[in-house]
Amino acid sequence: MSQNLTMSPDLGKEDWDPDVITRMIFIGPGAHVSEQEIVSEFHMLDLPLTIKNTCYGSMISGKSEDVYKAIEEIRKLDPNHIFTKERGFAPGDPRRCRGHRFGPREGFHQMEKEYRILGFVAEALVDEFKKIMDDCIENK
Amino acid sequence: MGENMVKIAVYPPNSLILADLLERRGHTPLVLQKQIRQKIKDPEIDSPPMNITEEDPIKGLKYAAIEVPSGVRGRMSIIGPIIDEAEAAIVVDGAPYGFGCIGCARTNELSIFLLRNKGIPVLELNYPTNQDETYVMVNQINEFVDSLEQTAEEE
Repeated sequence: MSQNLTMSPDLGKEDWDPDVITRMIFIGPGAHVSEQEIVSEFHMLDLPLTIKNTCYGSMISGKSEDVYKAIEEIRKLDPNHIFTKERGFAPGDPRRCRGHRFGPREGFHQMEKEYRILGFVAEALVDEFKKIMDDCIENK
Repeated sequence: MGENMVKIAVYPPNSLILADLLERRGHTPLVLQKQIRQKIKDPEIDSPPMNITEEDPIKGLKYAAIEVPSGVRGRMSIIGPIIDEAEAAIVVDGAPYGFGCIGCARTNELSIFLLRNKGIPVLELNYPTNQDETYVMVNQINEFVDSLEQTAEEE
């Protein structure tokens, strides 16, 4: 386990910048978009961001202004099924990244548990009243 | 972000669902990850993997007595500023996880106690296990946020 304890990361300029933030984008069960679509959409936005495709969705890192702008845009794809969360460490940081150390990332267990009820949360967020009204207007 | 934005502490402080629900409503959830980021970007920490330094248990003394184990005080140096900053809080009991910084039961008890004693509006919920309970939780959180917005407007 010595690798886990003696890792001394070689940090770049961006890693020390307090304005650079990282956010994780989760796609809830039953979403109408795929991970790949989300990543392509991020690339299409043409913002200076680091984008990583992951199993649960994606991870973006960059200046806070750009990150929030990108999230606002990406939520429009499927507002009820796209969830986002802060992340302390940058993508691929050797202190957290699974590629450089043993075992799953600590936050993964948290994610795994919360993912079980994420589908219900997404359903609860669907605006039933709006849905009924839209149906009524369509069938008028 | 809205004009009546409220800083809300969430417990567990690294929860995805709670933080996301609050951000959807335009409020700021006070999450652990932001504190951790500040810590790892601090140039004064010379051996970055060991991001808890000997200074932290000393900072934690503000929240816990000296007899309290250093682990609790070290954690409180990170969770404490969240409690100080909070204008409201949502506490979820019985969440089936406890990893990393929130893996310590005594720290959790102390943080929840401090949040309750702070005299801010606190919403206490149980972690949902099925669909109906989840719906109830989401509705309760939304109602709580609505009530916060109303009080902010009245002021």
